[in-house]
Amino acid sequence: MASKRHVIVGAGTAGINAIRTLRQMGNQDSVVLVSGERPYSRMVLPYVLEGGISEGHTATVSPNQLERWGVEMRFGRQAASLDAKGRSIKLDNGDELPFDTLLIATGSSAARLPLPGADGQGIHSFWTLKDARGLNTHITPNAHVVMVGAGFISFTILNGIMQRAGKVTVVEVEPRILPRMVDTAGSEMTAAWLTARGVTLRTGARLKEIAQTGNKRRLSFADGTTLDADVVVMATGIRPNLGWLEGSGVKVDKGVVVDEYLQSNLAGIYAAGDVAQARNLITGASEVHAIEPTAMEHGRVAGANMAGERVSYPGSLLMNVVGVAGLEIASFGAWDDAKAESITDLRPGQSSYRLYRFLGGRMVGAILISPEGEAWRGNDLGMLKGLVQSGADLSGWKRHLKANPLDLKPAYLAARTVTHLMPRTLLGRPSSSPGA
Amino acid sequence: MKALRILPEKCTGCLRCELACSQAQTGTYQPAASVIKVAPLEGHTSYAPYTCVQCAEGWCMTACPVDAIGIAPTGAKEVSAAQCVGCKLCTIACPYGTMFLLPESKKAIKCNLCHGNPACVQACPTGAIEYVETPAGDWLGEFAHKRSAYVHTGRV
Repeated sequence: MASKRHVIVGAGTAGINAIRTLRQMGNQDSVVLVSGERPYSRMVLPYVLEGGISEGHTATVSPNQLERWGVEMRFGRQAASLDAKGRSIKLDNGDELPFDTLLIATGSSAARLPLPGADGQGIHSFWTLKDARGLNTHITPNAHVVMVGAGFISFTILNGIMQRAGKVTVVEVEPRILPRMVDTAGSEMTAAWLTARGVTLRTGARLKEIAQTGNKRRLSFADGTTLDADVVVMATGIRPNLGWLEGSGVKVDKGVVVDEYLQSNLAGIYAAGDVAQARNLITGASEVHAIEPTAMEHGRVAGANMAGERVSYPGSLLMNVVGVAGLEIASFGAWDDAKAESITDLRPGQSSYRLYRFLGGRMVGAILISPEGEAWRGNDLGMLKGLVQSGADLSGWKRHLKANPLDLKPAYLAARTVTHLMPRTLLGRPSSSPGA
Repeated sequence: MKALRILPEKCTGCLRCELACSQAQTGTYQPAASVIKVAPLEGHTSYAPYTCVQCAEGWCMTACPVDAIGIAPTGAKEVSAAQCVGCKLCTIACPYGTMFLLPESKKAIKCNLCHGNPACVQACPTGAIEYVETPAGDWLGEFAHKRSAYVHTGRV
């Protein structure tokens, strides 16, 4: 009997984890990997910008490893269209690739503001390896770098920019920085930390256009003010790469809508990562979570199901961690749930902040901000993740935590969180070494 | 597979395990850098050491975007410092709170069972930490629950 053929479109975290999982589960079917870029990790790019980590270090799997896995590589090519009925995809060079199962893992692209001059020279995104190289060569010690957007992606490269540029200004249209990662108190603490370290912040600033004036870029705002920059970095969000699915019959909302097996509305067609709209572990809502851990989990669960297993995914936990100039900022789950009860611990002099959000006895979200020297002195950072993920019952502890928010560890332990967590695995079996 | 078994009733809170651990892991006597942490309970009247259970999922290992965490012959999930770029994803992926970042090196660090000869076991004067053939366990849950009755009753 001829073996099945799995076509994986996208060699990012989701695609590579799907392939690894297929092979770790002993699946020997043929696998074709289509990708415009060679496999590398976007997570590593900020550290290349900071220096000390070489570009070669960004590679996630080598061609040798892919060969050992028996993967047919189609690099430098992109998927142009999907013929779901005919079970094939067409590539941008006209080649047709038939499939038995398909994984849509085409990720997302940096989205630029639709403004005059936003695509001009000296305006950089920071999303791909090519972007990173471009920005790397343009930052000079005297440059004034203006970052447009004060979200997670912008913050991942702030360290590198601060170390290498003469002057840094961060511009954000929302009234506060990191609006989708922390609450107002967290934003304010982070803003104070950055301002004290020489970063200029302009919040509530609506950019209207960018014009070239000699060697400078002039940014004009809706309130009539202007700002001159040597280098402009646009970190104004990302957009899932869905265009090639138009008219295919695959159901798309914010992303490809998938079920608990990461399968789309069409049998044998799966989606994973930034392009997939799947279950949120905490709220149960169907959402796009464009974060690395979700891409990894989606990829593994999709790979297991493509291998013929029946692995159900409980959903992804929204979480982020980023460090800026020695301040660590992390958030988990539904920290912004308006219906949830709050417990806070705010120490402005020490630049540390905690927010725990409760629905009944269950912690549904949390924020932790702390200087890096203290962030990992105890176990609390990961314990917050464990409490939110496990849904451990803390009803007997809420009153104590309200009075002593830092006494988290006894609460975590006494709630038998470890007992709750130990049997849990993503694929219903112990994980293998990534190289295995 | 051998694992660390914690007998919290025997812990006196002397912190020798933390000192020995930091020495074995980082070459310095620096309890803040140890990957075993003694938990104060009952308002600091009893103590228990807490460290990685080498869980079956290996949340740290699967979260790592550069495959810097693998499984050592002892069964321990182990960080390759040369591979680690310091992105910290493992420290928020680990739901046990036993994955750390060393601020000095900006590298992730966790319990690797000292390659089969755990320094904390050697250092503990009361035998509260054993390295024996046992399935992983929630060694502190019941103990912490009993020793924190004051939280619920209001009486110490």
